[in-house]
This record gives sequence, C-alpha cells and structure tokens, in this order.
Amino acid sequence: MPPTGPSASAPGPDAGKPERVLRLAGFDRDDIVDGPGLRCVVFVQGCPHHCPGCQNPQTWAFEGGEEVTPSELFRRIEDTVLDTGVTFSGGEPFAQADALADLARMLRPRYDVACYTGYLFEALLAKSERDEGTRRLLESIDILVDGPFVEARKDRMLLFRGSANQRILDVPASLAARAAVWTTDPGWVGEDGAARAG
Amino acid sequence: MVTEIQKRDGRIVSFDESKVLNAVGRAMRDSGHSDAGDATRVGDAFHQIALTWADGSVPRADEVQSAVEKALEKSGFADVAKAYALYRADRTRAREKDSALMHVFDEITTRDARDSDLKRDNANVDGDTAMGTMLQYGATAAKEYNEKFLLRPEQAKAYREGDIHIHDFDFYALTMTCCQIDLQKLFHGGFSTGHGFLREPNDIRSYGALACIAIQSNQNDQHGGQSIAQFDRGIAPGVAKTFAKRLRVDLAEALDLLSPEGAPRPDAEALKAVFAGAEATSGGKPALARSEAFDGAVVAALESDGVAAPVAEKAMAWARRQAEKETDEATYQSMEALIHNLNTMHSRAGAQTPFSSINYGTDTTPEGRMVVKNLLLTTEKGLGHGETPIFPIQIFRVKDGVNYNPGDPNYDLFQLACRVSSKRLFPNFSFVDAPFNISYYKPGHPETEVSYMGCRTRVMANVHDRDREISPGRGNLSFTSINLPRLAIEAHGDEAKFFRSLDKMLALVAQQLLDRFEIQANRKVKNFPFLMGQGVWLDSDRLHWNDPVREVIKHGTLSIGFIGLAEVLVALYGHHHGESPEMQEKGLAIVRHIREFCDSMAAKTKLNWTCLATPAEGLSGRFIRMDKKRYGIIPGVTDRDYYTNSFHVPVHYKISAIDKIRIEAPYHALTNAGHITYVELDGDMARNVKAFEAIIRAMHDAGIGYGSVNHPVDRDPVCGYNGVIGDTCPRCGRRESDELIKFERIRRITGYLVGTLDRFNDAKRAEEHDRVKHGLSGNASDRA
Repeated sequence: MPPTGPSASAPGPDAGKPERVLRLAGFDRDDIVDGPGLRCVVFVQGCPHHCPGCQNPQTWAFEGGEEVTPSELFRRIEDTVLDTGVTFSGGEPFAQADALADLARMLRPRYDVACYTGYLFEALLAKSERDEGTRRLLESIDILVDGPFVEARKDRMLLFRGSANQRILDVPASLAARAAVWTTDPGWVGEDGAARAG
Repeated sequence: MVTEIQKRDGRIVSFDESKVLNAVGRAMRDSGHSDAGDATRVGDAFHQIALTWADGSVPRADEVQSAVEKALEKSGFADVAKAYALYRADRTRAREKDSALMHVFDEITTRDARDSDLKRDNANVDGDTAMGTMLQYGATAAKEYNEKFLLRPEQAKAYREGDIHIHDFDFYALTMTCCQIDLQKLFHGGFSTGHGFLREPNDIRSYGALACIAIQSNQNDQHGGQSIAQFDRGIAPGVAKTFAKRLRVDLAEALDLLSPEGAPRPDAEALKAVFAGAEATSGGKPALARSEAFDGAVVAALESDGVAAPVAEKAMAWARRQAEKETDEATYQSMEALIHNLNTMHSRAGAQTPFSSINYGTDTTPEGRMVVKNLLLTTEKGLGHGETPIFPIQIFRVKDGVNYNPGDPNYDLFQLACRVSSKRLFPNFSFVDAPFNISYYKPGHPETEVSYMGCRTRVMANVHDRDREISPGRGNLSFTSINLPRLAIEAHGDEAKFFRSLDKMLALVAQQLLDRFEIQANRKVKNFPFLMGQGVWLDSDRLHWNDPVREVIKHGTLSIGFIGLAEVLVALYGHHHGESPEMQEKGLAIVRHIREFCDSMAAKTKLNWTCLATPAEGLSGRFIRMDKKRYGIIPGVTDRDYYTNSFHVPVHYKISAIDKIRIEAPYHALTNAGHITYVELDGDMARNVKAFEAIIRAMHDAGIGYGSVNHPVDRDPVCGYNGVIGDTCPRCGRRESDELIKFERIRRITGYLVGTLDRFNDAKRAEEHDRVKHGLSGNASDRA
C-alpha cells in the first residue's frame, strides 16, 4: 500500500494532518483466543524483546510487513460486523504507540480494546511521563496483558496468557491508582477469577 | 505338448481340446457357418498355435481363448472371431456379476475397517465387529437385489453411474427414513415394545429410561434418525410426578420428626387422602411452582386432623425445599442415565447405536426447565471418564420472547446451552424465528414449533392435511440426491443446457421417489410394529394390524437433495457463491429451481415434496471419484476428494463468520426438507463462551433455520483434560508422540460426532483436513 496522504485518510481525531502509518505483521478476524468474545487481532511488525520461545519471531524485524493507516484498519475491523473487541499484539505494540493510539481512539467505545506488551505496566507508566505516544496508548485501551513471555513459566492452562508472570490489567483502574490493578472481568479471568481454564 | 490349463479361479485341470473345438463349432453355427469342414479348419489352426506353447507349460484359460480368436481370424472367419469375443465378454460380465458380490463380501470379511473405505461408509457402524459385519453383508446383498429387481433400467443406470444417489438404498423395499416421536402421546396410558407392555411411567427415572426405549424401538422400524420433538415437555410430567411423591413422603417424615410424643402423625399413605382433598378444595397442585392455596389447604387439613399449626407449617415448608432438592437430583440422574443409555444401547441389527436426536428449550414450566438444566449439566460433565457424548444429537430450540434475550424466561437455559456446546459441540441450535419456521408457529401449540432431525431433516408443511402442519408423528419417507456438479461439467458453460439436464434429472428422480413410495405405501402396519403398531406415526393409531400404511405415510415427505452447489458454480461460471454477489444470485436461482420443481410436484400429487440440502456422508466422495475418472481433474470442481456439502461455502475457502452466515441463510429458506450451517472456529471454545453466543445470535438474526459451531474438542484419556490439545496435553504435559495412548479428537461429520478420525471415510477425512477456521490466518497477513 502506498503512503497515505491527507486526501486518502478518513477524518480522525487529527483531521487535516496526514495520518500516521502502522507497520502491520498480520490481521486476524473472528479470533477467539486473544480475549473474550469475537475479536480482531492487529499484529504489529517489530519487537525489541526477542523472548526465547516466542510464537511469532517473524514479527521481530522492524522492517517488512505491510504499511497501513489506522483508518484503513478501522474499516477492516468494521467489516467483520460480529467482532466486538480488538486486541493489539505483535510484535511490540508500544513500539508503534502513536499509530495504535490513533486506531484505539477510533475504536472506543464501540469496541473493547486490549493490548499485549513485553514491558511491565510500571515501566510504561514511567515512560508515559515523557513519551506522548505511550501516554496516549495507555489512555486509549481497556486491558493490558503485560510482561515478557518467560518460557520457564509457560502454562497452557492460562487464559489468554502465555506464561504465568504475565498479568491481565484493568488499564483505567491502574492509571487511576498509578499501580497495576488486575481486571475482574470474568471474560478475561474466568467466572472464578482464577485466570485459568478449568 | 500342453496337458493342463489354469482356470480363472486358479485351479489347474487337464486340458481337453475337444471342449475348445465344441465352443468354436457353436460360435460358427451361431454366425451362420454350418459347414463342418470350416470348423475342422479352424481346429487345425488352433492346433498349430497350441503347438507353439512350450512343453509342460500351463496356459491360462484366457490365453486359450485368445488363441481361438486368432485361429478364427487366420482361417478367414473374422465375423465369427468377433461373435466369439462378444460371447466371451458377456460370459466374463456374467461371471463378474456373480463374483462381484462375493468379492465385496470378501472385503467385508477380511479387511480392517481402517483399510476399507467401503466399511467406513457409515461412521456410526463399527465395521470391525461381528454385528457390524453382518449388517454390511445384508446391506450389500439387499442393494444388489434392489437394483436388479426394483429399479427401472434408467434409474438403475443413473444410480450405478453416479448421476443420482438413492439414500439408504439397502432399505429400499422395507421402510421409511425417520420420525419425530411425540413422547407425551406415546407415554399416555403406556405402550408395548412387542415383547411386553410398559405401564405409563410414574417417576422421572422411568421417564428417562422409557424415552430411550421409545427411540430404540422405533429405530428398529426405520433406517434413518429417531428424534423426540418436545423432549422437555415430554419428560416434564415425570418431574411433576416425582416431586408430588417426594413432597408427600418428605412431609410425612417431617411430621414424624416434629410431632411431639403421642400427637397424631399421618404417614405417607395417609397423606394421599390429604393431598387429594387439598387439590380438590384449593384447585392447586403439588407442583414445583408453589401453590399457596394448595399448601394452605394441606396445612389446614393437617390441623383438622390434630396436628399443631406450627408443626404443620414448618413440616410443609421443609418438605417443599427437600422435595425440590431431591427431585432435582433425581432428574439429573435420570438425564445422566439417558445419555449413557443412548451411547451404549444398540439397534439396527445390533450394530449401531440409534441415531437419536432430541429437541428442547421452549418449555418454561419449572418442571420442563429442570429437565433441560440437568440434561445440559450432565452433557457438560461428559460420560463416565469425561468423554464427550456422541448421542443424542441435542437441538436447543431458540425463540425470541422465550429464551433468546435477557429477561426471557428461559434465557438462562440458552446461555447454559451455549456454554455446554462450546465444550461438547452439542446442543445445536434451531431457530423458530426464521421466517420459514415462524410461519407455522402458533403460540400455545408446541407441536407447531419446528423440530429438526439431528443431521438436518425438517418436516413442517403438509399438503396432504393442511390442518396438521406440525412436526411430531411425521418424518421423511425417502430421499434421493442429484450429482449437480456432473450436470454442470457436461453443460460446458452453457447455462440453458445445465437447466435442461437438471429438469430431466429432476423428472427421473421424481419417478424413482414415486416408485419407492408405491413400495412403501403397500407395506402394512405389521411391518412397523412400533412405529405404526404403537401409533407413533401420525394417524397410524387409526389403522389395523394388516392395513396398508398408504394413507398415513402421506404425512411424510419425499425429498430431492443436491450436493456440490459450489462446484456447480465454478464449473458453469468460474466462481462460487462465496466469491461474489453475482454467483450468489446464480446459486440461489439453481436451488430455487429445484424447490419450485418440488412445489409443483406437491401441487400435482398432493404429496409432500421437499428440497433437501443433502448431508453428504459417503456420497461426497462417491460422486467425485466417479467424476474424476470420467472428466479428469478440473480445477475448483474435481480437484479435491469430496464435493462440497449441499449449499455450503467450500470449507477450504477463507471467509468471515458473518459472510458465511449471510451467504448461506437464504438457502435455508429454499431447502424446506432440511439444512444446517456450520461456522468453523479454531481454539478452545469453552474458554470463550461469549464468542460462541455471538455466532449463534448472528445465525438467529440472519434467518438461519438450524446451525452449529464446529471447533476442536480433544481429550487426554490419561489425565482427563478436555479442550484443545496439540502434541502436548496442557494439563499434564504428556506428549502424544511419546506414548501409545493417543489423544481423543472429537469431530463432527454430516451432523454426527465421531470420536476419532478412524471411522471417517476418505472423503470426509479430506474434508475435515481442509476446513478453514473462519477468519483465522495464523500470523499471515490477511488481505481478504
């Protein structure tokens, strides 16, 4: 896809300015394994963490993938009709925080927005003091699944997580508390709140 | 000099040249050469050839015959050689005819089902067992007989060559396909299985047991599925009876415990009169829905019998709680037993579990709700070791205002049904609100709610008796499917030609179904001791033992099915209906054409002709194997091992869930003999019930009649984990490749669940392999 100029972009929060562009590794619709309900998953291209045992090492490189504007992605998400949630995955979403924040702002409140990250919430919170993109993305999402994938703590019985060190956080509550707060949404952590499959 | 020859069956016998010469003489005479000298000359020529065979060699019979042909030609009798060759070909065919059946018997006898597609034709039959093998002998011989004696030549040709498929052909002369059983009617006053009379059941446990017996008995009279139209309403009276009895017994116990020494304490027997009196004076009943009037009347009666008021009241309140708890437990156990029974009992020559289905979900009485809740809970729990139950096929009937939306009285049961199906693949969901189903619906008349037979069959309209457009007591009589892709291939892109040949084929099938109807109509009540003898089939209770069933089977349907709409569209136009709106219009036009033919036959004959979206077990591979041989590999048409199921968007085509639902929904309206839409999702569905419910709701809203979600359900038999398993069990970490005990993988095939892929026939294995989980592209970029 060619770089998109102002004329090609839908009116967004920054109407008039040229849209930011996302580097996309993949896009899934009707997904049932990256959060509750039917969801779209936006896999971004590029990741600095390189966790051993990573499921998607092809998304590490910051080159390659497909360039796409948030409004183009928004259109693809709307086309699914049934999907009610969107999950940012990758790759490292916070490496493209600005463009994803633009997308998340288009999506909410119609869609619930979740984001995976290899960083810890505390580190992102600190970074958000000086980095506009990080702050905007944190403020535009509902759920953050944080922390790197740690192979030694891998457990397939976990709901929506790869390893037991990862947390499923309620982002608005965490921002309000200035500290990590687990979500209590049974869709994410199960009816019993154990965040594990039965 | 040759002294021996080898016969076709391998035996070596002494060579008698005179036999050869006699045969030559006969062939010569038949061709008008009666001169004995001519025969001698041919004999000499043969002798010359025979001399070239090495001493002591043993020629085969066919080599000798070739030598005769050569001798005839050499002697100038080319015409006789030709006649002789024809005679030989004819003899060969006759011989093969005799031995083909024996060869098939040989395959049935000696080969493992794993290696024999023939033996896996029906995934529900275990072809490795004695009874399964016996059933297959019978079926094979019956088919042979039916083709030779009961089909017209053009029908036999169309069937043999794969223009059409006559379903359940082994039962051609014997019975009809299926029936929706009305349990309430059957149980009323009791019934007989032919080996003894069963009284009307009086307890929830007997209700569950007798429901199984009804299905099993009816299965012995029919070759297709057996379904209970209103399972909740049929079983609910058992809950009511158990509760009433428990209430009385518990009340007696409470009174005994609470009454002071020497005070009157009526026992359970004495309370019978108290209950009867209370029912009469209060107009209420001892039911799960508490009747204050009834309870009050009981308490009042106890007081007048000398029981202290506080004791009577306390005892009654405790008895009610206790009875409800006990009834709930008994209902759970009854449903647990029912599911175990339906997965273990055998029918159909002892070789198969009955093809059982049950419809439920709209009974809003506390008793009916208790039945459904416990049925779902025991299904969720699984069989003895947590295995997913294969039977019965469960069909949750969705109805707006009853169970579809929050606030509807049975919405909790709908949600529970979603949770259970996301773990166990059943229940499926039928939609009373679909326009073509709601048109029959009359509030307060549950029999007008659509019922489906598990795999998809649906019977509603009734041109024979307009006042009874209902589902209980009716079913399909027989159905035949057309190999639509072949008609499209032969049309070579000529649409008009396709429709002309379709019309011809429809006429041929209609005649064949009418011929079969004639055979069925002349059968008598005594041929169906349970189905007709016990009045299960609509109006059969009006017939006598020796009456033919002609009039009553007119309530059933004659159905014309089709397979491979997607391949038809590719063959005719280059694309299928998943790919463009234009192709969708073309696809609808074709299916509408079949439907209109059925409607016209119904108007003409006053019989119920319907259009079926054929479930394609066995058939999906049979047609394409023949067409591959005939036409070679045509991309998008014959390049797989199966033709696509009825109107389905091909399973290998990537499409979003909503697009699949919206494309397939209009075909549900046209295929009034039955239909089902599946959405394939990858991942552990049980971990995301919200997503499951979203799919079912989308089906309801799109006007789908009957649908379900396919998703992987695996189980580790060692630790009992149920979910999605790759090579490693998520719970215990056991690797399949390391050990002998394999993980169980439950998959759906033409509507029925199968525990492993072993019993899938080849075409169905290939189809399962190709299924694209809608919308999931792994990590590849999805530009669709």
